[in-house]
Amino acid sequence: MKRLYYGLGKRKFLEWILLAVFLLFFYGPLFHMLTLSFAGDYEYPDAVPHTFSLKWWDYILSKGQMVESIGTSLVLAIVVTVVSLLICLPAAYAIARYSFKGRGMVRLSFLLTNAFPKMGIYTAMAVIFYKLNLMGTFVGVVLVHIVNTMMFMVWIPSGAFRTVHIQQEESARDVGASSMRVFFKITMPMAWPGIVVASLYTFLGSMEEAQGSLLIGLPNVHTMPSELYGVIMSFPDTAGAVFAIILLIPSILLLIVFRKYLSAEALSNGFKM
Amino acid sequence: MNEEKKHLWIPYLMVLPAFAVMMLVVVLPILNTVMQSFQTEGGSFTLENYQYFFTSQEAFNSLVFTVIEAVSTMLLAILFSFLLALYLRFSKSRISRVIGRLYLLPRFIPGIVAVYAVMNIIKDAGFINRFLQLFGIVYKPGLLYDMKGIILCNLWFNIPFSAMLLSAALSSVADSYVESARDAGCSWWKILRQIIWPLVYKDVIVAATFILMGQIGAFTIPYLTGPNNPKMLGILLYQQVNTYLNYQRAAALSVLMFIICLGGAIVYIKSNMKEEVWEKGK
Repeated sequence: MKRLYYGLGKRKFLEWILLAVFLLFFYGPLFHMLTLSFAGDYEYPDAVPHTFSLKWWDYILSKGQMVESIGTSLVLAIVVTVVSLLICLPAAYAIARYSFKGRGMVRLSFLLTNAFPKMGIYTAMAVIFYKLNLMGTFVGVVLVHIVNTMMFMVWIPSGAFRTVHIQQEESARDVGASSMRVFFKITMPMAWPGIVVASLYTFLGSMEEAQGSLLIGLPNVHTMPSELYGVIMSFPDTAGAVFAIILLIPSILLLIVFRKYLSAEALSNGFKM
Repeated sequence: MNEEKKHLWIPYLMVLPAFAVMMLVVVLPILNTVMQSFQTEGGSFTLENYQYFFTSQEAFNSLVFTVIEAVSTMLLAILFSFLLALYLRFSKSRISRVIGRLYLLPRFIPGIVAVYAVMNIIKDAGFINRFLQLFGIVYKPGLLYDMKGIILCNLWFNIPFSAMLLSAALSSVADSYVESARDAGCSWWKILRQIIWPLVYKDVIVAATFILMGQIGAFTIPYLTGPNNPKMLGILLYQQVNTYLNYQRAAALSVLMFIICLGGAIVYIKSNMKEEVWEKGK
């Protein structure tokens, strides 16, 4: 240790310690879970599994309802993302471009979603959804997920649209492009990074939403996070680890694919008014 | 001008779908909750639902517990993330670039997965305990089912979240500001206080507000890692709904929690409004 300290110099040494602490705290738990998911024998005092095998993967993948929930969650996340894009992008564009009455109110109402306890909203939603026959339906769960992600879907693209200069749109219109064409050929490509980030928030938000899905979706719609609640309570750690890792895979894949869009600046936009 | 007048209804039309969904899934439920909170089961007006929480010792304990938890999470998360963001901004080393790539991931890990992963480490028969036994040390961390467990899990999420907001803010601090202050003989402490802080304090408020609001209504993390008594307000609310099936009381508690959050939201809106005025002058 002492040799390392003098070999690297004080600054470098401290930086390596920082890296180690960072990795242990943030990635240690995930790595530990990954190890557990491939465990064969894992008895109490073992720090790492004695033997490794795929038996817990087989175990989880043989449970029909869990495998089904994987499909449900993925389809749900895609539907939620597409629906919120369709609903929110026009609103985002309008907020960015036009100053109309009630604009401030629209902005405020998005903040309200965050200040009101989710459980309270879900409970009241359940009461309303009962009357509309939406309890236990796929549509009901889609609506629940939209509650959480609407703010991102409006704010981030709205900020992105604002960076597209109106002159660029006007000049395209002057040479004869239709409004639709202007939007899809000029505005949309320029605002694309913001739209990607908002969609990622929406997709991953839907993948992790558990409370509302439990309340509105049961007994017909089972999503992965809502299943995971049960798994954590009643399954061995090794089986839970497998299911948790499966739930992680889409997030990690998406983050790798879209990594060039994910800067701190782009991601922060959703939280400022 | 005339053209614009003609299309006056267009922005309203564009906002309409989002607004309609918002009404259905947010505004109506909230109004419904507020109304329910003043009603008895039969539907007549009462203040009893609120009285219950103002006189209940359990609710008071939960409130104190939640506030302590929320404030400590917020302070710790802001402190660590500020240091992390400063390091990421001003260090040009390879290690800082590596961390800069890796720190955003936790924000996107499904909450329940991460909680589960952390639980497996910190619980009494978890990795910490097992690892120390290799060296013959029997140590029970006692972190799970305790406030420390909740805070630890929350730090896992909130440090990256607020580091993200703060490093975005710090990127507006140009190197030249810092260098010129250095040349003029300023100490690091003075640079931090007089150059960096004024440029980022607004984002510190944003981060703090979101962390606090998230804690007041939090459910997943305290449900899985918190103690039974006293419990977080989110759990108390869940129990009113699921165990006691008392929707009116749950509604009253939701409104009370909303009012607590609103305190934070007002600070947030105020600090953001200032920017609006400044932008208008531009």
